[in-house]
Amino acid sequence: MYLVYILMAIGLFFAFAGTVGVLRMPDAYCRMQSSTNIATLGTLGALLGAFLYAIYLKNTGMAIKILFIAVFIIVTNPVAGHAICKAAYKRGVKAEKLTCDDYGRDFPNE
Amino acid sequence: MKPSKFNSILSTFIFCYLFWIIFTWTFTSQELITGAIVSLLVAILTSRFFIHEDANYLFNPARFLNLVLYIFIFLMELWKANVDVAKRALSPSLPVNPGIVKVPTEVKSEYGLSMLANSITLTPGTITMEITEEDNKNYYYIHWIDVSEKDRTKAGEAIKGTLENWVRRIWK
Repeated sequence: MYLVYILMAIGLFFAFAGTVGVLRMPDAYCRMQSSTNIATLGTLGALLGAFLYAIYLKNTGMAIKILFIAVFIIVTNPVAGHAICKAAYKRGVKAEKLTCDDYGRDFPNE
Repeated sequence: MKPSKFNSILSTFIFCYLFWIIFTWTFTSQELITGAIVSLLVAILTSRFFIHEDANYLFNPARFLNLVLYIFIFLMELWKANVDVAKRALSPSLPVNPGIVKVPTEVKSEYGLSMLANSITLTPGTITMEITEEDNKNYYYIHWIDVSEKDRTKAGEAIKGTLENWVRRIWK
């Protein structure tokens, strides 16, 4: 039972760190990086906690459904992240102080 | 390798039916028959979008075991990367050094490529922007929050770590 609390706390902590990162990062792309922080360990921690809680309640159907929510978040989230990042780049959103930009070098007219 | 039509419909059908059973979680014959009909319809209509390569080789037990092991390896990597980015976000000086690097990869299969790209995007600190093919070799363009290596192969090792070898063990 304490494991549930610990997992929930881990989820909360990473959601907090991700939010702070979204507010503080210098440009759109770095903000995206920080927001994956929330989507992965933030939600996964909370969902794993909920999963163990469902097992503790001996509710198998609920436990399996929670597991599938986690699987679907993992499968769908990177697709959206990739699309947003590329759309921002094509739209010409400025990135601050890029160390190197291989994409801009290879596709200069995008 | 192009799979036969029957094979692709069958693999889509199995996938849909598995999900139907898991979601409904009742085992009366009525539910099972409805599920089979619906899954068959969906499989016939969508298999040509869904299956581009022979998906049956995932039923090979060694590959399937690798897939299960990969989940745990990936969770380890996820934890490390998450702690790293959380530290960056919370530290007062905000130590970011972003850049877009081009990284070569050895993975050939479409599923393997998208799986590795999604794994890279899911680990905080790296986002895959594009996959291109040049001279039979695939390249990723990756936005990286801390560019410590500008050399392509070294940057690739730093980003992909052990994940690529595991993906190559699952897919071709």
